Amino acid sequence: MPGRASESATTALVPFVPEVKEQLVYRLSHGVQTPASSLSISWSRGNSLRVAIFRQPSLESSEEMAGNSGEGDVVELRMGVEDGEIDEVRKRRIAYGSAPAFALLQSRRNLVMASNSFGSSLHSDWWQHVLEYSRHIRDLLGNLKSSPVSVIEDPKALLKSSEKPTSSKAAWELMEFFYVDKLSLSWLPERLVDWLADYDSLLSGTDMTVHSKLASLQKKLVELQFIEDSKEYWEAIASALAVGWLDIVVKLLRLHGSYQLDQIDNREIENGLVEAIAVLVSTMPRMRPELRAGGLGQCFDTKPDFVKAWEKWRGQVAKLDCSAFWVKCDHRQTMDGLKNLLQIMLGNLDDLCAATYQWMELLTSHFLFIRPFTMGLEAMHSLAQKCILLKPTSDGNRLMDLLLGILGDNTEVVLAECSRTFGPWMVVHAIELLTAKSHQAEVVLHEQRYNLGGISIEELHRLVYAQVLSSHALTWQLAPIYLAACPKQGLGLLELLLYKQPMRHNRQILKNIEICRLYELGQIESSIMKIAGMHHWKHGRKGAGIYWLQRAGDEARLNEIAQQLFGLVGKSFSDESFRQWERLIELLGVEGENLGGLEFLHKYRDFKKSLQMIPDDVSIEPSNEKAVNAAVQAVDALILLMKSPSTPQRFWLPLLQDSMKLLNWRHRPLLNVSQTNLLLNKLQELSLARLRPDYCDSDLPHQVLSSIRLALAMNLGRAMIQE
Amino acid sequence: MAGSAPNLQIHRFPQPKYIDALKWLPPIAAFDRFIVLSLFDPSSDSSSIEIQSLSLSTHSPELHLLSTWPSHSRISCLSVCPFFQKPIIAAASLSGSLHFVVADAIEASIDDGFSVEDKGFHRAGVFSIDLQSSTCECVSAGEDGRINLSKIEGSRVVYGTVFDGKGLVSYTSARWASPWEFATGGLGFGVQFWDQRKPGGPVSQSPAKWIEGSSSGIVHSLDIHPSRKHICVVGGSGGTVFAWDLRWQKQPVMLCGGGTADPMAEGEVWKVQYDHYSQSANPSTQIPPVMMCSDDGILAIVEPGEEEPIELLAEPCAINGFDIDPQNPSDLICHLEWEEIAILMRP
Repeated sequence: MPGRASESATTALVPFVPEVKEQLVYRLSHGVQTPASSLSISWSRGNSLRVAIFRQPSLESSEEMAGNSGEGDVVELRMGVEDGEIDEVRKRRIAYGSAPAFALLQSRRNLVMASNSFGSSLHSDWWQHVLEYSRHIRDLLGNLKSSPVSVIEDPKALLKSSEKPTSSKAAWELMEFFYVDKLSLSWLPERLVDWLADYDSLLSGTDMTVHSKLASLQKKLVELQFIEDSKEYWEAIASALAVGWLDIVVKLLRLHGSYQLDQIDNREIENGLVEAIAVLVSTMPRMRPELRAGGLGQCFDTKPDFVKAWEKWRGQVAKLDCSAFWVKCDHRQTMDGLKNLLQIMLGNLDDLCAATYQWMELLTSHFLFIRPFTMGLEAMHSLAQKCILLKPTSDGNRLMDLLLGILGDNTEVVLAECSRTFGPWMVVHAIELLTAKSHQAEVVLHEQRYNLGGISIEELHRLVYAQVLSSHALTWQLAPIYLAACPKQGLGLLELLLYKQPMRHNRQILKNIEICRLYELGQIESSIMKIAGMHHWKHGRKGAGIYWLQRAGDEARLNEIAQQLFGLVGKSFSDESFRQWERLIELLGVEGENLGGLEFLHKYRDFKKSLQMIPDDVSIEPSNEKAVNAAVQAVDALILLMKSPSTPQRFWLPLLQDSMKLLNWRHRPLLNVSQTNLLLNKLQELSLARLRPDYCDSDLPHQVLSSIRLALAMNLGRAMIQE
Repeated sequence: MAGSAPNLQIHRFPQPKYIDALKWLPPIAAFDRFIVLSLFDPSSDSSSIEIQSLSLSTHSPELHLLSTWPSHSRISCLSVCPFFQKPIIAAASLSGSLHFVVADAIEASIDDGFSVEDKGFHRAGVFSIDLQSSTCECVSAGEDGRINLSKIEGSRVVYGTVFDGKGLVSYTSARWASPWEFATGGLGFGVQFWDQRKPGGPVSQSPAKWIEGSSSGIVHSLDIHPSRKHICVVGGSGGTVFAWDLRWQKQPVMLCGGGTADPMAEGEVWKVQYDHYSQSANPSTQIPPVMMCSDDGILAIVEPGEEEPIELLAEPCAINGFDIDPQNPSDLICHLEWEEIAILMRP
């Protein structure tokens, strides 16, 4: 028994470690009052568990309980953990939005693959398609909409008040610039700086981060009168500088008391130093093509230009550090704080360590002030390891684990982290990013694996996500998009999915059929129509039932239905209900098309219709052309009916009885000899059949039989004379 | 293939639930406009009718929920009729019941109304209802083959069965032509015209198998032009929109789909409505422009003849219905499969 917890670890194929150590008890409220005698538990749609509770059947209390409806109860339990960050509605919205983007990317991939004569490898500019896809999905995960920019900027507002960033978007962005965007390769460190600026608040929920430090200062800013006396102020500036939020640094420095008009004269030198630092900060050289809106620094595209500027800037920083003005600075805290900033700018590791809280922040400060040329994942990864040693984290942050996986260049780890933290949606859509330019990742993810039953990791995750989608009534229609991208098992699963869909309403049925049409599943389509037909038929909607069975071309069932209808027709096909039947027969359409045994009904309708047009009055004048014509038509219909093999034997007698009017036509025999003979033969066959034990008796009395025989005989005689 | 409409303003409003139907409400207050919609939440299996107000005063329009009315069973269709200052909303359900609720102008709330839920009314889902604008009489057609007329009298609803198909036929849509006449549609692209003064059956009926491939078609929506009552425009399966002229009953006028070479839409046409706003390119034709929406995400205006259809929307998901504002025919709302309302404003 592999995988059983009771087995020793040596024999188990997959070690089973229960994630939840403590047993959890949930209380279930239900309407059954007395102790339940039996329980039935089954899976319902999606994550719902259906629990049926039955009460002990007892005779004496049945009366008093009758009004209480306490005989039993069915309770549905929704299993699963609510994701605090993104609620169900939002998740659905993301699923809706990402499906067309995914489908577009797949169809583009197929196009490129088809036009590519070199085989499996994609075009070199494939990543641009993926980038477009990635940006579309990134927007879905939440727009970092800053509140409308007011004309007068609040000088004391440090952090932009925007909606809280989501970690799924943070993860997506990380993967986008590492795996997709080729243009960002040359300035990856600076992209990480930008990323941290957006998502620093997500790094830890409990521990201190630069963001939380600034947020707490922001709150106190209004109360502090002499801001430069506060230790927190200088710490916050140092932290912001260490992670490269230069605009905030300059903003904070300009809040320094020496800028105040009433003090500027007394603190001229102090103010000069503060301003000098602010200028140095805002002219920091940065190895990136352009700045973000509101960002500070000088941008350099090429390495030589940057090196030149960097050396020059470091020279200016060092020069200011050795300046003689420091001696003349009276304000102790200002001097210490500014000196600290200079050390950070010079890349003093101890000061950087002191100014940052998380290893990611320390890593960022490394990129900015110590090793701005760090390139390649390997170098970044070893640097990250060094930072982790300096700043070990108490709780493992999922985003950081993901980042380490990316830096470690390990596709499997990245996928595992995505799956663990963000679920199937993220994995399926992120795989497109991972394989955008990396051939190695493509091999890993597309390789068919024996232990997965011959499918690739990519397909496995798509199948899983499709299952998730199909578990909800509103998202199941998206599942085919993902299943269509599964080459091995996709169609099989799609067939299963379609079979499982409810068919209660036409809208649902039509939707299922539409999906069948799109994916060319003719067989399933006709099965669905058959199921729909039977459903309607069983619920007494005969017209709709026949409609669907006809569309399905299900002759066997139509024949069966025809047999049942004959029973009804024989009894109730009075002139009264004829109108209602007429509509049904109309629906059956032109003869010979998917009709099965229902062909009989169609001919019978013609026969009845002609008969109805003949007035009951026996003495019809031959000049009444309309009646004569109708009678002739009725005879034709009668002969057709009698000749047709689809007319059941038990209808022969009622048909003959109906046509007495025709047989007794006064002016001339309407049936010729051979026609009369045919009818006589049928009558004879019937009489013989009556002797057989399996004959089911029709209600007609014996007298009727003999009167028909008499009428036929008379007609035969008259016909013979005429001929 | 299809022309597009320039300067179209589109505003989208995601909803947290599936939208089954929606309608504009007649104006009950001076500035805001109101819509009524029926929502379905599959996780709790509950249905409700909501009134939301659309405020256009700001730069981007906003929808606000005003009031909600819970329904026991899932609503399949809505119809609205102005009744003095209080618009009456009729809602039919998939379990065969009919509810009349009254929207209050001053409170902007929904007053509990009257319901018909007894077995004798409809025995299966009601697929279509229509309120007669002058008499507030409601025609309802269901898959059980019944056609009923109901009316509020005093404090209760009285109804009468015009025709009982006893399940031998199913009706999927119904629409008034005049206080006496109405049209219905059903399976196999069948269209019927009824007159209350001639009971017993339809006064006119489309012939069987009259459209190419019509055995597979279902009528989903009908509309009748107020000034041309003899022309009934019909939308149904396979992207088909056609007109049925009572004066030439044997032959339909195809407007869209139905075996044309380059069909604009291939899915089910869920709704058709005469578009009084757009100008007919060819004023000599009998049939005015018709707006339609389809399961493959097309919202378009079609006309008979050579004119290219004008595509207003092409969505990745189904457009399940729309409604043109009777007061401001340039504006329309539509509801999308992916839990979204879109408001379109034409220049």
